[in-house]
Amino acid sequence: MSAQRGTLDGKVIIITGGGTGLGRSMALCLAAEGANIVVAARRVQPLEETAAGVRKLGGKALVIPTDVTDTAQCNNLIAKSLAEMGRIDVLINNAGIVRGEQRVPLWDITDEAWRTGIEVNLSGGFYCSRAVSKYFADKREGKIILVASGEGFRGQRDSYMYNTAKAGVVNLTRVMALSLAEYNIRVNCIVPGFVDTFENQPEEYQKAVAQARAAGAMAGARRLFVPIGHSGKPDDIGNVALFLCSDASDYITAGIFISDGGGLAGGFATTGYAPLVSLKEGLA
Amino acid sequence: MTAKAFALNGKIALVAGESKFWTKPVVAALAGAGADIAIAAKSTPKLTEAVEAARKAGRKAIAIPTDVSNGPQVKRAVEQVISEYGRLDILVNAADIQMFEPFLEITNADWQRTMDYNFNSVANFIRTAGRQMLVQKKGRIINIVSGLAERGMANGSAYCVSMGAVLQLTKTLALEWALAGITVNAIGTGWYTETGKAADETLARYIPAKRYGKPEELGSLVVYLASDITEFTTGQFMFVDGGLMAHA
Repeated sequence: MSAQRGTLDGKVIIITGGGTGLGRSMALCLAAEGANIVVAARRVQPLEETAAGVRKLGGKALVIPTDVTDTAQCNNLIAKSLAEMGRIDVLINNAGIVRGEQRVPLWDITDEAWRTGIEVNLSGGFYCSRAVSKYFADKREGKIILVASGEGFRGQRDSYMYNTAKAGVVNLTRVMALSLAEYNIRVNCIVPGFVDTFENQPEEYQKAVAQARAAGAMAGARRLFVPIGHSGKPDDIGNVALFLCSDASDYITAGIFISDGGGLAGGFATTGYAPLVSLKEGLA
Repeated sequence: MTAKAFALNGKIALVAGESKFWTKPVVAALAGAGADIAIAAKSTPKLTEAVEAARKAGRKAIAIPTDVSNGPQVKRAVEQVISEYGRLDILVNAADIQMFEPFLEITNADWQRTMDYNFNSVANFIRTAGRQMLVQKKGRIINIVSGLAERGMANGSAYCVSMGAVLQLTKTLALEWALAGITVNAIGTGWYTETGKAADETLARYIPAKRYGKPEELGSLVVYLASDITEFTTGQFMFVDGGLMAHA
C-alpha cells in the first residue's frame, strides 16, 4: 500500500498502552499520516513523551492516564477524548503486559496474578471497546482495533495468562465484528510476532535487553522462530495499524492481520530447516 | 489390551497407501483391537510382514498388491476387499511419500507423482470405499497426514500441498456424509523415525516432548477413531506429534 501523506487527516485515534513499545510506534506512525492521537496508559511520563512526538509531527495529542482494568477509567477515557477532541474515529486496544508476567509453575499462580493477567490483556480491550461502542453505533461509523499476539494462536510453557488472554482477544475481535457490523463498526485484530520495540522501551528494560543480547540469548531464540530471520520493526506493526485506521480497509471486518515474519505459517521445525529428500529416497 | 468400548471385533479394516512408517503399526493396532485386515499397497516384504503379524494376532488378513497411483487398480483392490469379506467398515489411508525439493527444481513428473501417491490415491480409495459405506449406512474413514497439511515448510511445497489437499478432502467429506453414518477424520503426525531415535538433535529439542515419535504410537488413535464410540466425531484433525503443533 502506498499511503499518501495525510491519509488519516483529521481522524482522532485512541491508543491504549500508548506510552511505550508498539503503542508509541503506532502513535507516531499514525500521526505522521495526519491523525490526532489520544494516548492512554497508567504511567504519565511515557505518555507525555509519546504526545510530544505526535505534536512534533504536527498532530494534536492528548494524554489521559488510564488503567484499562478499571471500567470507570475506561469510560472516562472515551468521554474525555470526545469532549476534548470533538470526535473519535478509531480505538486501538493495545494495552497489555508483554513482559510483566511472572513465569511460575501453575500451582504457584495466585488468583490475583491470574485476574491481573486476564484483566490487562483481555478485559481492558473489552472495557474500552464497550465504552466507545454506543458512540460508534449512534453515529453508524467507527473502527475498533485489537492487538493480540502470535502467542494467542499457540501455547507457551508457563505463560498462562498472556497466551490465554491473547487467544481471547482474537475471538473477542470476531464476536464484536459480527455483532457490530450492522452499525457500520469495523473490528479487526493485529497479531504481531516478535517485534523489537527496544527504542520505545523504558531505560531499565533497555538495559536488561542489552545484557541478554550480550549473552546471545535473545537473538538466537528469536531466529529459531521467525522464518524471515529477524524480529519485526515497530513500523512493521504501525503500518498495519495505518491500513486498518484508513478508509482503505472500510470493507474489512473480523480480519486477523498477522505481521510476524512468517512465524505462524511455519512452526513445524526450527527456522531454516529445509529438508531435501528426493522422491525415490522417500518411496524406499 | 483393548478396552471393550474400543473393540473392533467383527469389523473389516482396509489399510491403504504407500508409506514408510504407518502401514505396519496401524495394521498391528487394528488387528490387536479385533479387526480383520486387508492391506492395499506395493508388494514389499513389509506388506507380507504386516499381514503375517495380523494373522499371528488371530485375525484374518489379506494383502492386495496395488499400485496406489493407478486409479483402476485402487478400485479393484477395494472391490476385492468387499467381495472377500462381504463389507468394509474402516478405511485407513496411510499415504505418505516424502518429497522435499526447492519449488523451482521440482519436475512436473515429480509433482504429479507426489500428488498421485499422497492425494489422488486417497481420493480414489475413498471413492470406492465410500460407495460401499453409504450402502452400509456406516463407516469410518481415517486419513493419516502430516502436520504439514496445516503448516508450511521450506522446500516442502509438493508435500505440503498434497497433505493439505487430503485434509480439505477430510473436512469436506465429513460434512457431505455426516448424515450417512460415515465419519471422516484426519490424524496429524509430526517427526518420527522407525525407532524413535532423534534424527536431528536440534529438531528434537524443538519438539515439546523433546523426542521423535515411534510409529506404533499412532496406532491407539487410529483404533479410537475406528471404534463405535466415536460416531459423533467427524471432520476433525487430531495430532500425535509430541505437542509440536501447539508450540509457539
